[in-house]
Amino acid sequence: MILFFFLFSAVTVLSSIAVISSRNPVHSVFFLILAFVNSAGIFVLAGAEFLAMILLIVYVGAVAVLFLFVVMMLNVGVDKIKTQTRKYMLSGFLVAIILLFELIFSFANLDIIIQKPENNLEKNTNTHALGNVLYTDYFLPFQVSGCILLVAMLGAIILTLRKREGVLRQNISEQVSRTKEDSIKIVKIGKKL
Amino acid sequence: MNYLEYLPIFVFIIIALGLSTGFALLSSFVGPNKPDKEKLSAYECGFPPFDDARGRFDVRFYLVAILFIIFDLEVAFLFPWAISLSSTGLAGYISMMLFLFILTVGFIYEWKKGALEWE
Amino acid sequence: MQLDPNYFTILSAILFSIGILGIFLNRRSIIIILMSIEILLLSVNINLVAFSSFHGNLVGQIFTMFVLTVAAAEAAIGLAIIVIFFRNRGSIKVEDAEQLKG
Repeated sequence: MILFFFLFSAVTVLSSIAVISSRNPVHSVFFLILAFVNSAGIFVLAGAEFLAMILLIVYVGAVAVLFLFVVMMLNVGVDKIKTQTRKYMLSGFLVAIILLFELIFSFANLDIIIQKPENNLEKNTNTHALGNVLYTDYFLPFQVSGCILLVAMLGAIILTLRKREGVLRQNISEQVSRTKEDSIKIVKIGKKL
Repeated sequence: MNYLEYLPIFVFIIIALGLSTGFALLSSFVGPNKPDKEKLSAYECGFPPFDDARGRFDVRFYLVAILFIIFDLEVAFLFPWAISLSSTGLAGYISMMLFLFILTVGFIYEWKKGALEWE
Repeated sequence: MQLDPNYFTILSAILFSIGILGIFLNRRSIIIILMSIEILLLSVNINLVAFSSFHGNLVGQIFTMFVLTVAAAEAAIGLAIIVIFFRNRGSIKVEDAEQLKG
């Protein structure tokens, strides 16, 4: 099991390094997918089976595909490394390494008390235990996340939807409510024109 | 937790990896490979290709993908609800109905706005 | 559970640093910056799940669920902004985004 943990975490770290360093954005998206799949494996090892599957469905199935879509849609080509990147290389590495050491230092000084899981955590499945508390004890955050989804939906529609003029569109209600009277005009034609 | 339940998935991944790398390696070793300039050039009815193969998509595909993400998350919240409804009872039911109502408002908005229409 | 909790925390610290580094290094496209933000959120999720499982407390997993929701909404809105930015300016380079006013 510890072997699997090291396998998953090594692939996650390597592929996220590849995400930020690869020149082709399409390759970055694929490495992002690899990182997500492997961290789903890490979630399973940590005992959060439901979240691992949700990570696969939501991230790999939807978010990564959306990224891929935008990369394809904007047709972002392969870029050569520019001098601009070099300018920020030093400060970026400095900040990242300082941050890494600070995080590891603060985690190493943390006493993590390993507790036995609560009895209902073992009796039911992970999904059942989550559902027991998610909808009742965390009622307010749950509704707020619903509102966040609503705002995301509205924002995406308002930002990207653009009605084009001059495109013929089917108007079903108008089509159905037409009657014989207002669509046919009977014209009497005289004998002599 | 019983990790033996994941054994079939593991075996499946191993077999899939083995098969796909096996086929890719086998075809590169066994198949004849004599490239020349004409064979490697892109073929488009005898003409040189007019533009890049990665043409731009319409924004409408992107809008559909975003709406898919939102409803994907909604379904992700429905799974634990469906399993634990027997123990959460009426409170869980009302909470989920409120959540679904909020998202249905958005759904009605996008329907009326015509985001799902194709022209 | 024979895994050490420190492994999870160190893994998430490394992922977090990689995400920060990605934001610093990429001057060419905003999409890579959004991907780095996803990596940051992923490392936070790993931390939450690890603490939740070692403390035998489900709060961490529930908040991971909410973090996933926020991350998906953020990706949707962020990519929508990128799409209309590209439509207006014709490029998504970071240095072209200097005139984002009102």
